[in-house]
Amino acid sequence: MNKTYMDKVHTWGRIWCIASLVFFICIPVAICLHLDVWPRAEIVGKGLASIAFFFVTGIVEVVAYAPMLGAGGTYLSFVTGNIMNLKMPCALNAMENAKVKANTEEGEVITTIAICSSIIVTTLVIAVFVIIFALNPQFSELMASDTFSPAFQQVTYTIFGSLAATYFVKHWKISIFPIAAITVLLLFVDPGIGVLIPVGVVLSMLGAHVMYKLKKV
Amino acid sequence: MFSDFKNDGFMYLLILAVIIFVCAQAIFFMKKAWARGKELGIATDKLKNAVTSSAIFSFAPAVGIAVTVITLSVALGYVLPWIRLTVIGAIQYETTAAIAALEAAGITGGISQPVTDPEIFAAIAWVMTIGSILPLILIPIVLKKIQKGVSNVASKNSKWMDVMTAAAFIGLIAAFIGRGLAGLGSSKENIIGDGAGVLSLAALVSSIGFMLIFTLVNKKLKKNWIEALAMPLSMVLAMVVVVLINQFAPDLAAIEWRY
Repeated sequence: MNKTYMDKVHTWGRIWCIASLVFFICIPVAICLHLDVWPRAEIVGKGLASIAFFFVTGIVEVVAYAPMLGAGGTYLSFVTGNIMNLKMPCALNAMENAKVKANTEEGEVITTIAICSSIIVTTLVIAVFVIIFALNPQFSELMASDTFSPAFQQVTYTIFGSLAATYFVKHWKISIFPIAAITVLLLFVDPGIGVLIPVGVVLSMLGAHVMYKLKKV
Repeated sequence: MFSDFKNDGFMYLLILAVIIFVCAQAIFFMKKAWARGKELGIATDKLKNAVTSSAIFSFAPAVGIAVTVITLSVALGYVLPWIRLTVIGAIQYETTAAIAALEAAGITGGISQPVTDPEIFAAIAWVMTIGSILPLILIPIVLKKIQKGVSNVASKNSKWMDVMTAAAFIGLIAAFIGRGLAGLGSSKENIIGDGAGVLSLAALVSSIGFMLIFTLVNKKLKKNWIEALAMPLSMVLAMVVVVLINQFAPDLAAIEWRY
């Protein structure tokens, strides 16, 4: 039986994912072998217990982001991280520009290409700038100074502001409810962005479903 | 003996291996997707646009990530944060994981002091790694099933699916917009720009404004390069607005309604 492109993406993705898993675990092993120290299980266990919350968000992220990133995009994004501040906006922007829909093969191709491009550029830019910063401490002090640090602090808002301009203008009817609901929620409790994203997605989908049933969209 | 163990040649070899691995994976998928795109008849311009737009867009956030590496380098040296923020890592996760491991080892004061004990350094590397690998175990098992479920629903009711997909994206964006409007600062100290205030609002409003201007200009001129550059340029220009407000109106920049 001939395999479809999507079947092949899953085969390649699984192989790369498992290879990444093994490779990433080898990093602390290599550090331990090199330094000839093995940390006490008690310290690692206690540290992991303090960040157990991330295990839950890890599960939620897989379920919530996979349909938006596409198959190739998901395999790639979870290997390289920085999903919300880089991979997801890249994927959304590329689909908008190419006028293709998520969950189609065209959408799959475009998101994969956009995310690959982002990974290569990000990896190289980080490398170049870390080397520059390491060699020129005064430059890293300047970037972390009161002049420039506010810009990096607000970078997420500039990303999602520009995405909002595209999406909210196009889908303004279903945009009002989730923004209002999230803002009101935040006035009472701020659970952090890890919780806020799935809450926002669920609220937005519920609101849109109601409007769809009422034939308003 | 271990005075510079965090930044020695071996650590640089590790990051080099990570960079080669990550780029090889991206090039592999890019080649496959490009070939499939051509088979599907997607215009080369559209494919190129996806590459250039994403590449330009990624530049500024990548510099932001490099700045985070520097922030973490005081405690962990350059290479471990560099590795972690090149793979799986996310800014908020790595810092939290490093502090959790330090506290588990009985060291208070967070990441402001250099780690001098190789055992604690190794423990931090383990906590950062194990704490973030769950998705890599889950994805090979569940992703195909999730995608199949989504495709089935999409084939049964495509209009509903289109609305739901747009709603999911909007929910995601709304979470960040909401934080910019009413989110609390993430640190106990009162850092300017941390919580919702003039700077977050300026970043949101100006990036939305610039994006709308570029969209309108592109509607008139219909140029591919404007489309590709619209988002990264809107983002960078909005960052410039934030820097200017902070520089020339510091009292205004300091106003936060949530901190």
